[in-house]
Amino acid sequence: MAEVSLKHIEKIYPNIEGEKKHFFGKKKDAPKKKSNLKQVDGGVLAVEDFNLDIADREFIVLVGPSGCGKSTTLRMVAGLEEITSGELYIDGKLMNDVAPKDRDIAMVFQSYALYPHMTVRENMAFPLKLRNVPKDQIDKKVEEAASILGITEYLDRKPKALSGGQRQRVAIGRAIVREPKVLLMDEPLSNLDAKLRNQMRAEIIKLRQRIDTTFIYVTHDQTEAMTLGDRIVIMRDGVVQQVGTPQELFDHPANLFVAGFIGVPQMNFFDAKLTKDGDIYKVKVGDATFVPSEAKQKRLAAKGVTPQDVTLGIRPEHVTLTDDAPELVTGTVDVSEMMGSSIHLHLNTLGKDVIVIVQTQDLKEEKRGGFKLGEKVSFTFGGDVIHLFGKDDEKNLEF
Amino acid sequence: MASKQETLTSERRHKTIASVVLSIICIIYVMPIVTVVINSFKKNTFVKTDTFALPNAETAAGWANFIKGMTFGNYPFMASVANSVIITVISTFLILFFCSMAAWYIARVNSKFCKVIYYLCIFSMVVPFQMVMFTLSKTADVLKLNTPFTIPIVYLGFGAGLAIFMFVGFVKSIPIEIEEAASIDGCGPVRTFFRVVLPMLKPTLISVGILEVMWVWNDYLLPYLVLDINKYRTIPIHIQYLKGSYGTVDLGATMALILLSIIPVIVFYLALQKYIIKGVAAGAVKG
Repeated sequence: MAEVSLKHIEKIYPNIEGEKKHFFGKKKDAPKKKSNLKQVDGGVLAVEDFNLDIADREFIVLVGPSGCGKSTTLRMVAGLEEITSGELYIDGKLMNDVAPKDRDIAMVFQSYALYPHMTVRENMAFPLKLRNVPKDQIDKKVEEAASILGITEYLDRKPKALSGGQRQRVAIGRAIVREPKVLLMDEPLSNLDAKLRNQMRAEIIKLRQRIDTTFIYVTHDQTEAMTLGDRIVIMRDGVVQQVGTPQELFDHPANLFVAGFIGVPQMNFFDAKLTKDGDIYKVKVGDATFVPSEAKQKRLAAKGVTPQDVTLGIRPEHVTLTDDAPELVTGTVDVSEMMGSSIHLHLNTLGKDVIVIVQTQDLKEEKRGGFKLGEKVSFTFGGDVIHLFGKDDEKNLEF
Repeated sequence: MASKQETLTSERRHKTIASVVLSIICIIYVMPIVTVVINSFKKNTFVKTDTFALPNAETAAGWANFIKGMTFGNYPFMASVANSVIITVISTFLILFFCSMAAWYIARVNSKFCKVIYYLCIFSMVVPFQMVMFTLSKTADVLKLNTPFTIPIVYLGFGAGLAIFMFVGFVKSIPIEIEEAASIDGCGPVRTFFRVVLPMLKPTLISVGILEVMWVWNDYLLPYLVLDINKYRTIPIHIQYLKGSYGTVDLGATMALILLSIIPVIVFYLALQKYIIKGVAAGAVKG
C-alpha cells in the first residue's frame, strides 16, 4: 500500500522503430503510429501531461479506447516504459530511474505471462524466492493466496493444464503473494469470455476488500471501470479527459467524449439550440423546448453561458416514451431489441439514431413483445437529466 | 459410384507407387551403414571381393576386426575417443551457452549492430568451409587453438550461425510479457535469462544440441587441419590412420571402428530425436 503520484508525465515515442524499453534499452516491436496522437519534435506524443495523485489503497481505473495511452501510462508506473518527462512518485520516492524489481510493485498482464516451465506453486513462489523469503513463509503465503483465489487444487499443475480463468487467477496470485505496495493490472479480463469476465470481476471486487494495497487497473471496458474503480481516469489520444468517481462521470461528464464513453447504451446526442428567455435558459430540440432544471440554470448562469448552438445529451434510461407531455419529440422505430426486462428501441429522430430503454413492465400487454418497425412513437425527458455541450470545444457548458 | 471407386483405386495406386519409391530411397540411404556393419565382421581380404555379401563361415572375422582396430598403430584408440568426447562436449556446451544468450539479445534488441551480427551469422552458414580452411588452420596455430581443449572455440565460431538462427526464431515466439513479468518479480537480465528464458528454450537447446553433436563428433576435416596430429587425434582421424607399414589399409578394422564411432551418435540421436520435432515446430506457432 502506498500513495502514487504522477506529475506532468509525458511519453514520446521516437519516430524510428524499436522504442519500448527492455533490459537492454530497446525492444523489437515498436508501437504502431497512431494517427490521432500528436506529432511533436521528438516523435509521437503517446501520453501528454498526465497528472494524478492516487491515495493509499485507492482503486484507480484507467479507461479509454485502444491507443489512448492507458497501457503506456501503466507501463511507465511499472518501469517497463521509460518516462520521457515528468515525475513518478511511489510512497513519496521518485521512481523515474528505479528498476521495475525495486519499485515494490506487482503486475497482472492481459496474456497472464505465467512461466510455462513452472508449476502454479512455483509460479506464485517465484517472486518470493527471488527476495530470499524463508521457505516455510513462502509455502504459507502461497497457500493463503491460493485459497483466496480458489486455486489450491491446481497448485501442482503446469499453466498449460489450466483454463484461461484459472491462469488469470494464478497470475493474480503471483502478484498478491508478494503484498506489493501497488498492484498494476493491464486489461486482466480481456482474454476471458463474457461469463468468466463477469465472474472474475466480482472476484476482483472481493479480492480488493481482502488485500490492503493500491490498485491501478487498465481496461477499455467501461463496465469494468464503473464497477471496480473508486475513481476513473478517462483518456483519449494520450490526454486525460476527466478524473472522477463513477457517479461523477456518469452524472457530470466533462465533455462529449466522456458522455459517450460512459454508460451502456451510450448517451443520445441531438443538435439543439440554447436560448435565453429573460434569466431562464431554454433548449430547443426540433419543435420541442425543454427547460433545464434550477441547478443547471444556476450553473449555466454562473459560467455566463450565452445563447448558442449546442449538442444536447440525454441518456437512454432518462427518456420516457409517452404521448402525453407538453413537449414531445417524435421518431420512427428502426430496431426493437428485446432484452427481457427491458426493450432497447432504436429510433430515427431528427436524422439521428436515438436509443430509448423501455421497461417491459411499464408497457401495455400488446407492446411487451416489442415494437413494429416503422412505427411512430414520441418521447420526452426532464430538464434535470439533460447535458449541454458546446458545439466547438465539445465541453460540458455547466462545468 | 463407379467414378468414386475409380478415384479410390487410383489413389491406392499412387500410394503404392509412392511407398515403393520411398522404400527404394530409404534403402539407398541405409545401404552404406548396412555395408559398414556387414563388412566390420568380415576378414580384410573379403571386404573388397564380397563387399555386399553377408559374412559366412569362411569370410567371418568375429570380433577380430574390432580388436585389431582398437589396438592397431602407435596411437591408442581410447585417447582418440577421449579427444572426440572432450571436443564434442565442450564445443556443444559452448555453442548452446553462448549462442542462446546471443540469440536472446539479438531477438530482443532492435539495433543496427544486432542486425549486422544476425546477418553475419546467417552469412556464415552459406560460406563453404573449404573457403576458409587454410587461413583458419594458420590462425588456429598462431592462437594455440590446436588442442582438444581449445579447438571448441573454432567450433563455436563455425556452429554459431545455425545455432543463432534457430534460437532467434524461437526466442521471437516467446511473448515479451513473460520477461517483463520476471523483471517485475525481481529478476535482472542475467536471472531472467537463466531462470525464465533458458528453461523455455529447452526444446530448441536439445534440437541444436543434437545437430551440433552429430556434426562435431563426425567432423574430420577441421580437426585434421587444426590439431597437431601426432599429439591429438579424434576418432575420424584415427580411422584414417589405420594404415600398415607399406600404406596398406585394413578395411575390416576400418569398418569396425566406423561402426563403433557411429554407435554413440545414433544412440544419442534416438534418445533425443522426439525433441527435434518439438524444437522445429516450437518456433513455428506462437504458443
